[in-house]
Amino acid sequence: MNLLEIKGLTKNFGGLAAVSNVNLNVPKNSITAVIGPNGAGKTTLFNMVTGVYKPSAGDILLNGEPITGLKPHAVARKGIARTFQNIRLFDSLSVMENVLIGMHSRLKSNFFGAVFQLPGTRREEEAAQMEAFELLQYVGLDGLLNEPATNLPYGAQRRLEIARALAVKPKLLLLDEPAAGMNPKETKELTDLIRNMCGEKDLTIILIEHDMKLVMEISNHIAVLDHGENIAEGKPVEIRNNPRVIEAYLGKGALAYA
Amino acid sequence: MLTDLIGTLPQVLIDGLTLGAIYAVVAIGYTMVYGILELINFAHGEIFMTGAFIGTSLLFLFTGQGWIHTLPAILILLLAIIAASICTGVLGIGIERVAYRPLRNAPKLITLITAIGISFLLQDIVRFIAELKKGTYIINGPNLFNGQIHIKASSLWPEFHDATLKSSFLVVLLVSIVMLAVLDIFVNRTKWGMAMRAVAQDRETASLMSVNVNKVIAITFFIGSALGGATGVLFAVQYGTIDPYIGYTLGIKAFTAAVLGGIGNIRGSMAGGLILGLIEMFAAANLSGLTGGVFGSEYKDVFAFILLIIVLIFKPEGLFGKAAAEKV
Amino acid sequence: MGKYWIAFVANKSLSGGLFLLYVIVTSIGIYLSQKSIVSFLLLLASLLILYFLQFPDKVKWAAALVILGVVLPFAASHGQSYQSYMDVAVMVGIYVAMALGLNIVVGMAGLLDLGFIAFFALGAYTYGIFTTSQASHFMPFGHYPLSGASFWMFILIGCLFGALFGVLLGIPVLRVKGDYLAMVTLGFGEIVRIVFNNLDKPINITNGAMGISSIAPPELFGIRFIYPSQFYYVVLVLLLIVIYMVRRLERSKMGRAWKAVRENEIAAQAMGIPLVKTKLAAFAIGASFSGAMGVVFAAKQAFVDPTSFTYLESTTILVMVLLGGMGSVPGVILGASIITILNLQVLTEVTNWLNQLSMSGVLKIPDALSPAKMQRFIFGLLLIVFALYRSKGLLPAKNMHYDLEKLARRTHSMDAVPAAGETNKG
Repeated sequence: MNLLEIKGLTKNFGGLAAVSNVNLNVPKNSITAVIGPNGAGKTTLFNMVTGVYKPSAGDILLNGEPITGLKPHAVARKGIARTFQNIRLFDSLSVMENVLIGMHSRLKSNFFGAVFQLPGTRREEEAAQMEAFELLQYVGLDGLLNEPATNLPYGAQRRLEIARALAVKPKLLLLDEPAAGMNPKETKELTDLIRNMCGEKDLTIILIEHDMKLVMEISNHIAVLDHGENIAEGKPVEIRNNPRVIEAYLGKGALAYA
Repeated sequence: MLTDLIGTLPQVLIDGLTLGAIYAVVAIGYTMVYGILELINFAHGEIFMTGAFIGTSLLFLFTGQGWIHTLPAILILLLAIIAASICTGVLGIGIERVAYRPLRNAPKLITLITAIGISFLLQDIVRFIAELKKGTYIINGPNLFNGQIHIKASSLWPEFHDATLKSSFLVVLLVSIVMLAVLDIFVNRTKWGMAMRAVAQDRETASLMSVNVNKVIAITFFIGSALGGATGVLFAVQYGTIDPYIGYTLGIKAFTAAVLGGIGNIRGSMAGGLILGLIEMFAAANLSGLTGGVFGSEYKDVFAFILLIIVLIFKPEGLFGKAAAEKV
Repeated sequence: MGKYWIAFVANKSLSGGLFLLYVIVTSIGIYLSQKSIVSFLLLLASLLILYFLQFPDKVKWAAALVILGVVLPFAASHGQSYQSYMDVAVMVGIYVAMALGLNIVVGMAGLLDLGFIAFFALGAYTYGIFTTSQASHFMPFGHYPLSGASFWMFILIGCLFGALFGVLLGIPVLRVKGDYLAMVTLGFGEIVRIVFNNLDKPINITNGAMGISSIAPPELFGIRFIYPSQFYYVVLVLLLIVIYMVRRLERSKMGRAWKAVRENEIAAQAMGIPLVKTKLAAFAIGASFSGAMGVVFAAKQAFVDPTSFTYLESTTILVMVLLGGMGSVPGVILGASIITILNLQVLTEVTNWLNQLSMSGVLKIPDALSPAKMQRFIFGLLLIVFALYRSKGLLPAKNMHYDLEKLARRTHSMDAVPAAGETNKG
């Protein structure tokens, strides 16, 4: 059963085709990696799935339901959460508040509930705080709950972004270069976290990554983009030996050494 | 009613071009700074106003000295313009250095607030200097170029009414055109002009190409402010009376012109300014006629503001600009 | 220095006792002297001191209420400056409420609104038009002027009108990028002012530049509220309601959404926050405070004209928010108080003092430099200095503090039970 289906997705910026006729099927509870050299269109693909860009052509289906062209907040409410290539935390807000904001689409209280402190609102807030705290414990940030997000070290910020995305209780989680800038130890911890998350939180994960060790270790399925096109797709073992992929990354000369 | 509309056209054209030229040059100041810093220089209207005051003071000085009798008026005016624009240019550099540069990495809101603060400061400083010297802050400049020229437009086409223009109109138009032409050549044909365009497009890369970004920004401010100040002098000459608050409304309208033409686009600002001037004068002359007396010419400012709002909402890139996308 | 202060504050009986003494002394100062601005300011400053003391919140609020509700009016009632003190206090109350409204828009949601005064004008003119014969010029039904008993209803109307126009303005305008938003709201503010200034023909709705006078004072059970000392209590109650609402909103899902939008729009959207609706809500709520206060202002002044609603007024409120601390409720209260008192009392007092000095030949300050006229200069300077050096304001906004131990304990006890809030699973 495919959680996400991408058909013929294209995005043109002026004359440049950033993504060109990409097809991708993402099975439920799998970890799919999207890899490719810089500028291949990976983040653009993510941006189209999450509604930041409107596709020039093609369709995106979540559980069979079309979500093409929906606004970002509507996409989030359908159960798709993401992290960003350049970390986008709510800098001056505390760690706890960042995660609580992730829960926005699931909370039902409104203006009147807030102003009159209706019992339903209060219960919801308390439950939300506990859930957020548990998520922070899950990623190991519970001790820092009142710290402004901007004070956190880099690795912690990435984990906070993940916790915040988990707060959305998504069906599909998109991670955009989660290991960027991490040292081997942090990368190992991240790898474990992603693997555990997938099972424990009933997630389907798509990640963009350049760290091949992480990609090979964790993915069930890999898609390779180059110049906006899907040039290869398959199991990690197949991709590793695929000549087109090697050529895309290392150039024609590298084939001689493959 | 249509005949009234057509009849007023020659006068509208003349008044509109005068006003439009002023808007155009001031708009350039906004557009240059926005192009390079992505900042609306709220204080620019006040720089224009300061130029008007400096120019007027100089003209008082010159006429007081009796130079008006020995030198042709146009020369005195040019002297005043050059002196005033150098002063305002330096003022612009000073403002950038003191108030904008420290905030280059701060959130936009804060920089905007600083700019508002500077505009207030300038307004009051000019006010109390004027009050100190003259007892009032409304100043009437010395009369230069007061000759009236009559254009017998009715001889061209009987529908037209005759139009009159002050000879200062020709001066304003001429000087504006010269300034615009010189600026155009500078921006498009010289090394520093190219540097300015580079910094406006991509500050980091420009600095990697050994462009001294701070210097370019300073030059941009100098030119924008100098032009603004020069226009202030022209304004004083054309309309005779100035006060410390002329910068405010005119600033908003010049900004409207800049946005109309496409913010960041210098030629666009020129076009925007002329268009806005013409529209405004047209509205002033015909609004009460068109609306059957409901809305009179007092609403011409409202017209300009509504235009601003409409452009910003529906076509923020203006007539000649390109929409920019943010990288996610 | 800081250490002594911390030690002092920690000692509750010492700080409590001294505070009480301070309040008594300053109250006596007001009570006994004919017009002591200094004592008045010092008594108001006691509230600031109270803020920093370490007593439970409920105790502090009770103390503040006693000071504002009982001590201040009583102490001020003795001299002949009673009404003038109360007048300043009423204006402070009105501006604090407005600044709290702008704080939601600018401080929490990060939207620079330079035309905020337009909603204030709307509320003020609405009340003015209907409680004088002005309305009879264009309303086809009803008997005008309405009596002051309708004041209370008009506060609600002002609130709703403000919200309505906030939404109407916001819908087209809030899609516009940050810098441009400032210009657009500025333009709107100016449009409102010009329209009000000219709406005396063809139908006389606002009486144009002459303004509307003889506006009915509020009436309750036959008592007419004419004096500032009576208005004081009206404003006090309204202000308390406003502060209560703002604090509740700040800690709610809505408040978090505003702050998220302010910090990072794109991330906020990715979390399911609808940008336009969230910004509209901020706009509308801020505008509603402004509209309601406009009604109060009109009733108190008994006169409205377009000159009270200019760009300078919009910027004044902005200065209050920046000075106090953007997004910070106590900060904005402080900022608004300082600026209002500066405008209404301090500047005029200093001007008088300087005039006296120059009359006695000690110091000759030319009229052009008189402090009362130097408003723009002072505001400009304040804006620049604070934006450059203390952009977080005098009392910077503080994030809500979560109790780590309490949460840890609670989640432990919840481990046996399935977690609450298991909604959006499928």
